[in-house]
Amino acid sequence: MPTPSTFSTCLDRRVFDALAAELVRESDGGFGRGADVLLSVPGHPAATTPFIGAGVTGELVFSARTTPDEVKDFCFGSPGPAFGFVSYDYGMLLRGIASAKPLDFPLGHLKKYAATAQYDDATGIVTVAGEERAVDGLRQRLARLEQEHPAAIAADRRSRGTRGGAELSLPREAYEARVRETLALIRAGDVYQLNLSTRFRVRWPGLDPAGLFLRLWQTRPAPFYAWFASGALRVVSTAPERFLRVRGGEVLSQPIKGTLRLEDGEYGPDGTVDPALMARLTGSAKEDSELSMIVDLIRNDISANCEVGSVAVSAHKSVFRVDRLLQMYSDVTGRLRQDRDCLDLFLDAFPGGSVTGCPKASAMAIIEALEPHSRGMYCGSMLVVRGERDMDSSVAIRTAVCDARAATMDFWAGSGIVVDSDPASEYQETVAKAEKFLTLEEL
Amino acid sequence: MRILLVDNADSFTRNLEHLLLATVPGSVVRVVPYARLAEADTVDAQLVVISPGPGRPEDYPAYDRVLAAGGPVLGVCLGMQIINRWRGGRTAPLPGCVHGRAEAIDWAGERQCVARYHSLHVTEVGRGLTVLARNDTGVIMALGSRADRLLGYQFHPESFMTFDGGTFIAHALDFLDLS
Repeated sequence: MPTPSTFSTCLDRRVFDALAAELVRESDGGFGRGADVLLSVPGHPAATTPFIGAGVTGELVFSARTTPDEVKDFCFGSPGPAFGFVSYDYGMLLRGIASAKPLDFPLGHLKKYAATAQYDDATGIVTVAGEERAVDGLRQRLARLEQEHPAAIAADRRSRGTRGGAELSLPREAYEARVRETLALIRAGDVYQLNLSTRFRVRWPGLDPAGLFLRLWQTRPAPFYAWFASGALRVVSTAPERFLRVRGGEVLSQPIKGTLRLEDGEYGPDGTVDPALMARLTGSAKEDSELSMIVDLIRNDISANCEVGSVAVSAHKSVFRVDRLLQMYSDVTGRLRQDRDCLDLFLDAFPGGSVTGCPKASAMAIIEALEPHSRGMYCGSMLVVRGERDMDSSVAIRTAVCDARAATMDFWAGSGIVVDSDPASEYQETVAKAEKFLTLEEL
Repeated sequence: MRILLVDNADSFTRNLEHLLLATVPGSVVRVVPYARLAEADTVDAQLVVISPGPGRPEDYPAYDRVLAAGGPVLGVCLGMQIINRWRGGRTAPLPGCVHGRAEAIDWAGERQCVARYHSLHVTEVGRGLTVLARNDTGVIMALGSRADRLLGYQFHPESFMTFDGGTFIAHALDFLDLS
């Protein structure tokens, strides 16, 4: 049994991010090298605690037979945080939605690490914990990076080779036709709102996923930036949305609905946005309905594991900017029941309602019929589980999966369809969300 | 009070459960999925609540047995339409649909803000049922029968957009002679 060790020190956030970047670059150097990381934007309403996991000591690769109890045993059965993803397709199994599509991706993958590092923005303290040798290794790296000027972090290498054009599982005409089918189902009462997506597949020999992740992080930061290695696959998740956080039993979900794309010059260098633009989003009856509906759904989904009377809505119809998009969101809070843990909550509420539609069971069955692709990682979640009443997780949108063997990059984007949706506008919103992966050569 | 809440695979049922638990003193709520209603023991319940849900009232024939056994029954949204259909009433598509909108309606002599989610609305009221509320454009928002202990709300008392959901549960207990 290796000797457990902990080390804490106060340092600049950029040093922590530089350590993460260094380890991400090393991730393709062979098994067990590098690290999985979760980076965030300090001060953002959806900010999470940045996390680095280095040196894999255990892993749980989900199959269709993986049970919630096995997930709990893996996360809670040994010390240290678990980090990884749970796919939308695993969520379909949890919710009993049948699918005939082949599963081409692990249904989930969680790891435990020889050493983890986490950064507390409030205090500026980094805490490294785990096995003594691995902790020492991260400590030495931090000491060295602190000596180097953090601003000197090297610009990241670009991918070589030529990127092919994006192949859409639902090109414009097909997407708009599916929107019209969805509208007919809404008018019939089969569903009240539905999130429809398309997959983009790009062939790209020479793609450098680590460089892609780091360039995106440097130019287009968002609250839940995750880098995760799963076999030959590399997950590049640039999600803006929190699914569920539990901290000391206090539950927070921050569903996003409503998107406004900003043009150049519509926000200042400090990120401030003209209040009139925010008002255009909050004043839209359509976006209001979309968000309100999902807030009621999230209240429902956390209530099964929260104390009666504790579930509340605050900051309804708040707006934040992420990347070049304004997003409207709300805070849904509750208190986890004493006899439940954070994975009861997560697995009962999964996948997040903002990416299914409402009611969830009906929406998921219709999505399965309308979408020709598997969602896989998309609309699943990246999660860090620190204890039975302590976790954080994203809604894995704006996420790409790079496959080195097939030389492909898959990413997905979608939009929420409600009764007054316009098919052409929904397609445009979908493409706007995919924009950061579609315009990579500009980075 | 022993309450049986039948869930029509909806995403608001737990909200209704929590509202009932918070507003009905000493209540115990058992949630049964519609798919298992046929074998569920409904006799023991002092109140049956039919949840909202997708689809049309005629998609849910298993409620006929529950309704034939007599009230008290409270239906919300689809639940109201199911009660109405059992009494021979009809629903039709609501022009434009309304999903996730709050609006004020006249209720018990005052204006009350309620949440609406529906694609269909009641166009023909079932036998023995009385319209108890309409919105400002005439859409039926509540109907029922005190004598038969049946009550339906088209709007959603359990939504966070409904200003005072507890009022409607308290009214239901009075109307259904349970208070």
